[in-house]
This record gives sequence, C-alpha cells and structure tokens, in this order.
Amino acid sequence: MSKCAITNSIRTLRFLNNEMTQKQLAEAIGVTRQTVMAIEANKYSPTLEVAFKIAAVFNLPLEDVFQYHKTE
Amino acid sequence: MTRQTQIKDFLQSISFRELTLTIDLLVSTYIGYFYLSSLYNATQEQLASASWLSSLLLQVVTYSVVLMVLSYLLLTFISDNELNQPLDVREKQIDLVGYKYKAHILQAGICIAIFQYQAQVNDWGPAIEYSVPYLPLHVMVAAFLLAEICSYVMQLFKGRTGDIYE
Repeated sequence: MSKCAITNSIRTLRFLNNEMTQKQLAEAIGVTRQTVMAIEANKYSPTLEVAFKIAAVFNLPLEDVFQYHKTE
Repeated sequence: MTRQTQIKDFLQSISFRELTLTIDLLVSTYIGYFYLSSLYNATQEQLASASWLSSLLLQVVTYSVVLMVLSYLLLTFISDNELNQPLDVREKQIDLVGYKYKAHILQAGICIAIFQYQAQVNDWGPAIEYSVPYLPLHVMVAAFLLAEICSYVMQLFKGRTGDIYE
C-alpha cells in the first residue's frame, strides 16, 4: 500500500511574514497553537478548509504552502 | 539546547486543554486510588454491608464533583481566554480517539460484570472463592474509572505526539 505524505513551508513563510508567531497564525485561521505546531511538524494533515485559510493568510496559492509526496 | 531552554520550550508548548486534561487525569487517578484502597482496606463486614458500600460510592461522587469544581475554578483564573474557544477539527479527532478507548474499556467492564453476576448466581467464580460481595458493581465502577483515566491518557498522548491517525 502506498503511503501519502504532505509537507509544508509554513515555518519559512511565517519567518518571511514579519516573523509571525504560531499563535498569530493560529488565531488568524481559527485553530489552536498546538494544531499549528502539529501541522508545521508534518504530524497532522490539516483539513482542506484550514489549508486554504493558511494559504490565504500568506496570500499564496495552496501548492506553494503544501506539497504532496507519494511514497511507496 | 540547554536543559533550561528545553524545559521552557516544553512549558510553552503546553496548551490550556492539555493542562485541563492533566488535572482531570490526576483527579480521576486519585479517585480510583481512593476507591480501590478503600476496598482493599475494608473488612469482610464492611464489604458485605450495603450501607457501607453506598456511603463509599457517595464519597467517590462527592470527591469527584468537589475536586473537579475546584480544579476548574483554578483553571479559570489562569486561562488565556482559551475556555471560550471551540475545539478545532484536530482536537475533536483526538477527543474521538479518547472516546473510542473509553468505550472499549466500558464494554469490557460491562461484559465482565455480567459474566461475574452469572457466575455468582451459579455459586462459582472469584466472588464466591474470595468472598467479595457485590463484585459485579465493583467491576463496573473500576471499569468506569479506568475508562476515564485511559481516555485522558490517550488524549494527552495523541495530542502530544500528533499521531492521531488510527
């Protein structure tokens, strides 16, 4: 069975956006700071809605924030 | 990274929800310890007495309510308005994982209690062998307390490791 993995560039993007904190991002997208931490650490794949909200915060298309890797 | 920095990072990473769960876990563990130690230290007469047993259950309920109320009052003072925020999808998923384990333990407890009751009626099993009256009731109470503890532990573990997919 193939394994799916979604990585992201949120940590870099936060840094490039005036060093936005995890808490600020969490408040902007309506989740907890722990959820942002889990997403950044690739331990949790966000819902489509949250993913779009994150992309909207950074004013970027979704694929610039999240990358999909298919591994065997 | 120094140990001091590690501790600071760890404390900063603790959410209000984790703190609430930890307090719930501590309260449940204490209640479980109180109940089991009361049973362990009870005499045969006390174990056979319905009034002693009902007073013990009343104490368990009273302690639970009082400790929960006190801990939540304490948490209200230190909360960063997190009490008013609804759970996000990830936290709801973690909740469901906790409930799943809780349900399994409760189901097992009920099944063991029913089996125990049947065995007792037929004059065999541990209740007769070790002369423990009301054993099915104790099994159910213990299963309830264990289910609570397990649910809190699983929620804390899943929340911390982030590994919520099962």
